[in-house]
Amino acid sequence: MHERMLLSILLLIALCAAGCDRPPTETATDGAPPAVDIPVGPMPGPGQFPPSPQNPYTGNSVALSEGRQLFVNYNCYGCHGGHGGGGMGPSLRDATWIYGSSDAHVFSSIAEGRGQGMPAWGTKLPQDQIWKLVAYIKSMNTPNEPDAPVQK
Amino acid sequence: MQHSRFTWIITLCAGSATAFFTSGCATKTETAHAASNAPAGAATDVPGALPGIHVVSPLPSGEWTVPAGDLANTRFSTLSQINTGNVANLKLVATMSTGIPHGHEGGPLVVNNTMYVVTPFPNSLLALDLKNPTGPLKFQYDPHPKPMAQGKACCDVVNRGASYGDGKIVYATLDGQVVAVDAQTGKEVWKTPLGNVDIGETITMAPLIVKDRVIVGNAGGEMGVRGWDAGLDLKTGKLVWRAYNTGPDKDVLIGPDFKPFYKKDQGKDLGVSSWVADQYKHGGATQWGWVSYDPELDLIYYGTGNPGVWNADQRPGDNKWSITIFARNPETGQAKWAYQISPHDAWDYDEIMENVLIDMDWQGRMRKLLVHPGRTGFVFVLDRETGELLSAEKFMPPTNWAKGFDLKTGLPQVDPSKETHQGSTTHDICPSSTGGKEFVPSSFSPRTGLLYIPAHNTCMDYGGVKANYIAGTPYLGASVTMKPGPGAGQGMLIAWDVKNAKAAWTVTESPWPNYSGVLSTAGDVVFYGTMSRMFKAVDAHTGKALWQFQTGSGIIGNPMTYIGPDGKQYVAVYSGIGGWMGAEALPALSADDPTAALGIVGAMKGLKSYTGPGGTLYIFSL
Repeated sequence: MHERMLLSILLLIALCAAGCDRPPTETATDGAPPAVDIPVGPMPGPGQFPPSPQNPYTGNSVALSEGRQLFVNYNCYGCHGGHGGGGMGPSLRDATWIYGSSDAHVFSSIAEGRGQGMPAWGTKLPQDQIWKLVAYIKSMNTPNEPDAPVQK
Repeated sequence: MQHSRFTWIITLCAGSATAFFTSGCATKTETAHAASNAPAGAATDVPGALPGIHVVSPLPSGEWTVPAGDLANTRFSTLSQINTGNVANLKLVATMSTGIPHGHEGGPLVVNNTMYVVTPFPNSLLALDLKNPTGPLKFQYDPHPKPMAQGKACCDVVNRGASYGDGKIVYATLDGQVVAVDAQTGKEVWKTPLGNVDIGETITMAPLIVKDRVIVGNAGGEMGVRGWDAGLDLKTGKLVWRAYNTGPDKDVLIGPDFKPFYKKDQGKDLGVSSWVADQYKHGGATQWGWVSYDPELDLIYYGTGNPGVWNADQRPGDNKWSITIFARNPETGQAKWAYQISPHDAWDYDEIMENVLIDMDWQGRMRKLLVHPGRTGFVFVLDRETGELLSAEKFMPPTNWAKGFDLKTGLPQVDPSKETHQGSTTHDICPSSTGGKEFVPSSFSPRTGLLYIPAHNTCMDYGGVKANYIAGTPYLGASVTMKPGPGAGQGMLIAWDVKNAKAAWTVTESPWPNYSGVLSTAGDVVFYGTMSRMFKAVDAHTGKALWQFQTGSGIIGNPMTYIGPDGKQYVAVYSGIGGWMGAEALPALSADDPTAALGIVGAMKGLKSYTGPGGTLYIFSL
């Protein structure tokens, strides 16, 4: 119970840090589409995959910055590198996507976790925060990347 | 009292090296030092040893049954078939791929004409029949650790090896279990779960078998776990004791026998009062390195890792017992003494490095020494009976976090401008968190009095950030960018003159750190590997290059030597880049993020072009 309470407080802090002093138009969490089940593997037999939900925060610079802050607050940087270059977990800024590169696939990896140690953050984080993390991750190595690593 | 008895033996035997090791003396010392798992043919006499240098534990002469070859962690072999005169003729006789593209740390054991190697995750135990080393495996044992452990290990999915005792090969799995395998049949004898991998507890170290105890410690100092060492019953695997390295005295197994030398380490429940609130519960101080044992004093020695959280401003206080050398009774785990090298660490300078036990003349008096070449960039020499610090000298010249150590108080003289704090970045701290050396073990030759230190020269910029504890995720609070240190070459083999506390000579390796263990032999040859795929032999007296062989991948394992069934001397080593410093060579890393892999990528950019991953065992002979 203690840890759950602590996490709730952390979530509140993170939400506040991410959104309290932003203009409301830029932080709208309403309208974020609910996640759907995204298959990781190919579909057997005939038919088509259901349409993949799009990230409502793509290209939203404030959401990207919030995603960057969440990436730090939730210790993502400890495993995936200070700017997503990898470490205990794989790089997020290279061209390799083990479980798929679409926004929905990245959402699914964060929400459901993965078997080699990636926690299932969907059990703790609201969906809009996960979408912001997706937006930040997908911005890595692009001109839109907030707080990009300094090259020496 | 033990000290005066020891002095008496030395007085009786000293005079010349030859006299010292004539039969009367050798018999006496061998009896005193006999350990139940001493390798067959083990010897305490070293022909040609310098006067006034005495070996504490039987040395390997044919087999290699514990991670360092001997219990005192000298990594010195009495074999001399391969020597400075003929090592140039060393040839490859067998190889074997493990098929695993991760860091291959540690090294083989050889017992009863069988070689045993443990792989990185999934931690298979491979046994080779040395009567037919190019033939099929004698057996393979697979412990099936939880796949999730791969994402909880801070610094690649490594394993640092096994120990042999009572007919069993004993080692740890990445998911926090210890297994004992029948050395003949490959059947599992017991398996004991010790660590909770859900919260980030892994085990990467090589357990040490001391009499009927298996000594093992946890890893996970980057995940906010609480460090411990444990003693298991060798026969059954049952947990006999667990000593936490933080917390109240009853948890740390500090009792009436505990007599730390320095005032700063004396007092009740310092493992609680040197932290804020309950921070000690996430206080790290894990033990993922090497354990040594002195059979005469009947004490084990090990060092502890970084305090958790990395961000030092979140844990005011000395943070005991992080960055501490402990002496404990192996049977009960009860602490005899502790010496905290660096209170309130602010640089991730784990001090889990090897403690090399040597009896030698120290400033005119025979003393029982513990020599600890540290991540902090200093070589520490302690009296291992009392824990008194006798010397702390920089072996890595750019070291600047501390000017030196006050031998009266045991405290470092920290440079305040190199402290790290939340909300700011401290520039050009030397060494980087990876240290003047890492866990890769040094070797001491009684014939030269030199400790051969595999060293590296990196520095760092370190920014403190507030960290939140979320179980099972990293607990850091730091943004670290490492970089090559000043001077030529990041890698060095430093031949450290223990008696005079200074480097006798240094071999510089360019451009990468020396990140493999070292082996020295009575043939006066020193073996080590480089990250740029070279396995090398140099002269133990001068460092002169004698031989080299290019392996398929960078070497971060530990070379060892043994006598084969044909009576010939062999040398074996793992190659296979990875681990923390080798992370840049792994495909899942991006070199354009200098903070990747806890900041090491900044110092190692370009390693990928020198070596790719992939583990192979190599065996050489004349």
